[in-house]
Amino acid sequence: MPSFVPTSPTTLEEQRLYTQARLVEVACLDCLAKVAVKKNSEHHTSIQWNAEAVEACPELGRREGASGSRDGHRGCPRLLASIDVAVREGQIPIGAEDGY
Amino acid sequence: MLDHGTTPLRYARGWHCLGLASSFADGKPHAVHGFGTKLVVWQDSQGKLNVLDGYCRHMGGDLTQGEVKGDHVACPFHDWRWGGDGKCKEIPYARRVPLRARTHRYETAVRNGQLLIWNDPEGSAADHDILPPELPGVAQQLGETSDTYTDWRWEVVPIEGSHCRELIDNVADMAHFYYVHFSFPTSFRNIFEGTRATQFMESKGRPDKSEGYGDAELFLKSEATYYGPAYMINWLEVDYKGFETEVILINCHIPTGPDSFTLMYGITVKKPEGIDDKTADYISKKYAEMFGGGFLQDVHIWQNKVPVQNPLLCEEDGPVYQLRRWYEQFYTDVADLKPEMTDRFEFEVDTTKANEYWQAEVAANLAKRESAEV
Ligand code: FES
Ligand SMILES: [Fe+2]
Repeated sequence: MPSFVPTSPTTLEEQRLYTQARLVEVACLDCLAKVAVKKNSEHHTSIQWNAEAVEACPELGRREGASGSRDGHRGCPRLLASIDVAVREGQIPIGAEDGY
Repeated sequence: MLDHGTTPLRYARGWHCLGLASSFADGKPHAVHGFGTKLVVWQDSQGKLNVLDGYCRHMGGDLTQGEVKGDHVACPFHDWRWGGDGKCKEIPYARRVPLRARTHRYETAVRNGQLLIWNDPEGSAADHDILPPELPGVAQQLGETSDTYTDWRWEVVPIEGSHCRELIDNVADMAHFYYVHFSFPTSFRNIFEGTRATQFMESKGRPDKSEGYGDAELFLKSEATYYGPAYMINWLEVDYKGFETEVILINCHIPTGPDSFTLMYGITVKKPEGIDDKTADYISKKYAEMFGGGFLQDVHIWQNKVPVQNPLLCEEDGPVYQLRRWYEQFYTDVADLKPEMTDRFEFEVDTTKANEYWQAEVAANLAKRESAEV
């Protein structure tokens, strides 16, 4: 069944740009998680996980069951520290490319 | 060019809130518009709330205008009696009830004193694991009361001419809080995962405005999570003139047609120590007015905008595309779900540049006002 259907083919290209362009893989320094990161500025961070990475992260694994508590949606401080290291080592280019 | 796209021909899979459970518990049939039709809601003698298609499977009579007889809802047209399980229980004038006499029923759950129903165009069994959480200290079932929280203040706002995705977009929309709601978001993050989408925001009111959240002495720390497509819990720590209050806001909706929905919001306030119930209730009323006003500011925008499939973003904007990718899961057959719709995604907006500009703009507005007053 059709959902929100774009009527212009360029929309699909825009969707790809905003969700997939310029992602850099960052491996966590404390566990086996690998995530895709983008940084448009010093303070901006975008982190795309996949099921495998979530599985590997002990910090996220400690969270309580499916819908229960609010801790369920906190981030992993070790991963954030690993991203900071990757930034310092120049592995993640910082800067937005025309807003995406 | 703006791509308006076409809106979905289906309604989202998931739990939808119909309102406060207590509002249906008077032994009468109630009408709720939803999913392109009308639903009938009533309470049976065991106290259970039941929800069926509002139109009778016999010849289309309006069950919401019928009567509750015993445990069943009786149709005003020919008195067929329907049970909460969706089966016809009795046809007083007939020798027997046809075995096939069933109508569409919705699985129900009561959470936080509200009635929720499961919708799925594919007809799956309700998934109770993804219900919104029970709020500790808040009255859950019918007849319960809470010592720590005020009663819900519940408001219902019908919206015509907008798809409910406009409401969802707010989750990722940092800048509109300044322009539409008159507050500075100083910190703004999102996490989407599974059937949940969360916005974390810290903000302070604009001193140059008095409507909405505009107020120099208003600071908000807000965490808002959608549990599925249509039910959001917003935990708010409100600091007003140094007086701190814990507020819980429910923001939920039920689609009524392809481009209409009913927005509902509820407010409860944790009763502050040493404050009597009447005062606590007054505080909840004030906050209900403030957040209610906030919704109306959004509504005005929605009703005058067009739908956009390809928003053009700048780097200070939130992750609108990823949010919509998450939201799309509820409109997709389970067999066609893609991992990226539910994979965990985190995003922190850099609000530095925006706040620099906004501070300067507000200062200029205040200066202008002052010189006009002199
Ligand atoms: S239409 Fe309802 S009883 Fe006939
Ligand atoms: Fe808004």
